[in-house]
Amino acid sequence: MSANTPSDRAARDEGNPRSTAKLFGHPLHPMLVPFPIVCFIGALITDLAYLGSANVQWSNFSIWLITAGLVMGGLAALTGIIDYAGDRRVRAARPATPHMIINLSVFVIEIVNAFVHSRDGWTSVVPTGLTLSVISVLLLGISAWLGGSLVYKHRVGVRS
Amino acid sequence: MTAARTILAGAASALVLALAGCNDGGAKFDRNSQIGPDPVLPAPQQYLVPPIHVAEVVGWGANETPTAPAGLRVQALARDLNHPRNMLALPNGDVLVVESQGPNLDPITRPKNPIVSWVQKRATGQSGAKPKGATNQITLLRDADGDGVPELRTVLLGHLNSPFGVVFADGYLYVAATDAVLRYPYALGQTRITAAPVRLTELPGGPIDHHWTKSLTLSPDGTLLYATVGSNSNITENGMEAEKNRAAVWEIDRATGRSRVFASGLRNPNSPNFYPGTNTLWVVANERDELGPNLVPDYLTSVREGGFYGWPYSYYGQHVDPRVMPQRPDLVARAIPPDYALSSHVAALGLTFYTGSSLPAKYRGGALIGEHGSWDRDELNGYKVIFVPFTNARPSAKPQDFLSGFLTADGSKVRGRPVGVTVDRTGAVLVADDAGNVVWRVSAPR
Repeated sequence: MSANTPSDRAARDEGNPRSTAKLFGHPLHPMLVPFPIVCFIGALITDLAYLGSANVQWSNFSIWLITAGLVMGGLAALTGIIDYAGDRRVRAARPATPHMIINLSVFVIEIVNAFVHSRDGWTSVVPTGLTLSVISVLLLGISAWLGGSLVYKHRVGVRS
Repeated sequence: MTAARTILAGAASALVLALAGCNDGGAKFDRNSQIGPDPVLPAPQQYLVPPIHVAEVVGWGANETPTAPAGLRVQALARDLNHPRNMLALPNGDVLVVESQGPNLDPITRPKNPIVSWVQKRATGQSGAKPKGATNQITLLRDADGDGVPELRTVLLGHLNSPFGVVFADGYLYVAATDAVLRYPYALGQTRITAAPVRLTELPGGPIDHHWTKSLTLSPDGTLLYATVGSNSNITENGMEAEKNRAAVWEIDRATGRSRVFASGLRNPNSPNFYPGTNTLWVVANERDELGPNLVPDYLTSVREGGFYGWPYSYYGQHVDPRVMPQRPDLVARAIPPDYALSSHVAALGLTFYTGSSLPAKYRGGALIGEHGSWDRDELNGYKVIFVPFTNARPSAKPQDFLSGFLTADGSKVRGRPVGVTVDRTGAVLVADDAGNVVWRVSAPR
């Protein structure tokens, strides 16, 4: 992560909104977000496979994917919140707050989903688990779009 | 930053509410309504976090014993055993104690598995207390003068694979290890078995071996053995292929080892026993978990040849379990409701019919049932030995406590947990306590 010296802070109001959670100058948040996105979409796919087959291996895949998604999603959330807190201009970008609220909602929904998927048998997925997986993926689509806007339009973390 | 904080706090409290809100189920439910032939069955509940309550195992002080009805005496026949779970009283008066631990073969298929197995081990007292000696063995106790103090204690047979059932017949000792029925030549009075066993019949014992206790009894005519084989999961979450020939009572030809499934649909049946003077086989069975603190009651039942008792598709007859897919309406239609419910999650493992004559007359012909005790309901249930009166070879009244005090007075700690129950040559009742590591002897003063 970058140093947070007074001169850094002074430099902030110039150029593009800065990312605070960085590794060798590269923002961490965009490196971490693919993990939960892929895991939660994968869990929806394996939920659907379980719905179609009643083969328990698919529901086992789902709970591991959700667990991995939550672990990596937790790190993504942490770096995202650091970026959000670290620069006033990030917060000022219009998609930033909805992006964070939706992603945190997905995180909470997936925690509940992990408990639902830890039940035994058919009702670990059908209908509640599958429903939560669908809602999460739909919300992820919106928040990922907003996250893209933050970088490609509002230039958050882009070197000036 | 305040916005972020508010959202985080909101999300956290919503989560806590969601988890706690689904955990009520505690509204005072009359447990007695689930004891007897026609139990009250509430609607199934599904949880985010199912209720779990295990109490710390503290063991017995030197002068502490469980409590028997007035007029009966309780002694420790043997202490410092290592997970004694079952016993056999031989015709010459020697008592065999089966000390056993599970094989721990359950694979980690989900993140939940290590958590649940930790909880269950804690409840069994297997996580804290270090084993004091060898287990998975059979110890012989010889109390020739019948005073409840054995003159001899020796290991008859060691290095067994999670044994549970043991039967003696015609110069052979039959031991149900978790993966096979073993036959050893054995003369009464012998204190050490060195002969290699014959593997009479292979039993389902792996690669997954969830309910591992295989108990054993002999048919009244002595030609057949009956072995119990519990299910390989709570409710088929390891796949139906893992359940082949499980959740069943097996019938085994004592001479040839040929076997067949005698009855099925019994989730975790244990301690098969023929009612004295009849050809009717009875078992106690542990029903399924995670449908609520008051579902599904464990039971005592007679077992009919070819009978199907519901697991996994239904419970108590036609109450369908929504967690099983594909469902089997054809099997549900012919599912037999068990005879006598014992209330939920008591974990009935031991059963014997009182055939002695030294205890008061009311005990004759009744059932003594060892209830190992609950782990998946808030209010502990079981943790005692109960007596169910029988009339005309059928259960005929509400149970009475036969041996209690396995919990401390405030119910917060566990001293011991009863498993197998048997009757010795003198008519005293023996109870294996696998958490207290004691065999208790309940006798009438002479």
